[in-house]
Amino acid sequence: MKVLVVGFGFIGRELVKAFHEKLALLKQIDKDFGVIAVSNSRGYVYDEDGLDLGRLLKVVELSEYRKGYRSGGSSVELIEESPANLLVEATPTNITHGEPGLSLIRTALIKGIHVVTPNKGPLVVAFKELTALAEKNGCELLYEGTVAGAVPLFSLVRECLRGDRVLRISGILNGTTNYILSKMYFEETSFELALKEAQERGITERDPSYDVDGIDAACKVTILANAIMKRGTRLGDVERTGIRAVTQEAVSLAKKSNYAVKLIGTIDRELEVAPKLVPTNHPLCVHGTLNAVHLETDLAKEVTLVGYGAGKETVSAILNDVLTVLKRRRKTQQQ
Amino acid sequence: MKFDLTLALADRPGQLVRALEPIAKNGGNIISIIHEREKPAEGYVPVSLVVDFPSKQNLRRTIGDLKSLGVSIIKSEEIVETTGVTLILIGKMDLKKLVETRIEDVRVVGFEVSAPTSNEACVKLELEVPTESVSKALAELKKVSKEENALLISSI
Repeated sequence: MKVLVVGFGFIGRELVKAFHEKLALLKQIDKDFGVIAVSNSRGYVYDEDGLDLGRLLKVVELSEYRKGYRSGGSSVELIEESPANLLVEATPTNITHGEPGLSLIRTALIKGIHVVTPNKGPLVVAFKELTALAEKNGCELLYEGTVAGAVPLFSLVRECLRGDRVLRISGILNGTTNYILSKMYFEETSFELALKEAQERGITERDPSYDVDGIDAACKVTILANAIMKRGTRLGDVERTGIRAVTQEAVSLAKKSNYAVKLIGTIDRELEVAPKLVPTNHPLCVHGTLNAVHLETDLAKEVTLVGYGAGKETVSAILNDVLTVLKRRRKTQQQ
Repeated sequence: MKFDLTLALADRPGQLVRALEPIAKNGGNIISIIHEREKPAEGYVPVSLVVDFPSKQNLRRTIGDLKSLGVSIIKSEEIVETTGVTLILIGKMDLKKLVETRIEDVRVVGFEVSAPTSNEACVKLELEVPTESVSKALAELKKVSKEENALLISSI
């Protein structure tokens, strides 16, 4: 399988590193596995015989790779013209129009190229269109990394809860707000101070509204509602309350009664993101930057997954999606 | 629907069986029965039952049948199952309005106000809500707190 990686930022680079380190495992499933191109907004490097991943990891800018570098080369053109059959799309997230990821994924699926992405934007904006396109063109569209990072949520439901009907999902879907609320819980700091510390540690953006106003969690609720509960949900359908108004007094009062305040996303009859009281002995009560997802199903009843929702751990989800595509493709070829 | 039914039975053999027949005939499922033989009063023994009837009508028919058999009914009350709900409210709001005027059958069983260290008041409420109307009560509480511009943090 010939792979294109679009996006050479933090995640793209970590993914190339994982491909390099796990090459033997990848080649065990597909002996022809190779990354033939890596691109970013400034251009791309291309080698039909496969890029030297070790060499690629040593460069800061793609132009330093030299061989096969095309300055200003467009990623869309690369998808359209290269012989790739798997696109890993890891461009920055935009939840308003989904670009540039949306056009890249759309172009790939139309061409029959499998897609793996950790980018929420395109799925929040056009879940129905993209999944229909993938089905029509007989290709995979896997997005494990979009919700709760490294937590294998979609894979678990797809592979291990095949016969279950998922009735309700709730969870801590944003690590930044969990970090802030955990600081307020353990160190009795104010929201403002906890937020400042999160910003200093680079856990949140300079403009933290995407996290603290619950927008990021609402995006994940939208994806979960569409992907697992098969709803036709849009981001605007999620009732959203952030954590700015949560005071230290509220956190302390909750703690005295054995509750922790957590920003919880819920997919039930209603879709909601709001601060909630979580009993300290409930499996969802995890702290720091951890994420946790609690599934309620008709047969298994309750299943909870806990793990890291952002950062380089997300590469685990992307790599698993890539391996899933390789395995399924091998199975199809054998039939 | 569960009911607490207390009967006064004559202290003679066979009276309990006789009294249970109308309950079974009217679809009642007996969950518990306490035959208080140590408390006879003027030849009568109190028998306390918890019975699950399909509806209030079944209970009414049972009571009618028991009365026609000469059995006295000391008590017949519906047992309402309640759920404890803990809430935290942040902001300024009229708690009386919240608890008394908008939601029926909700009892405040606990109340705690935090030491005010910021401009926003913070109150923890522990409520007892009929189990079957918890969602409705929470939706109503949410609506009122929104109107009052307060943040309601409910338990999961």
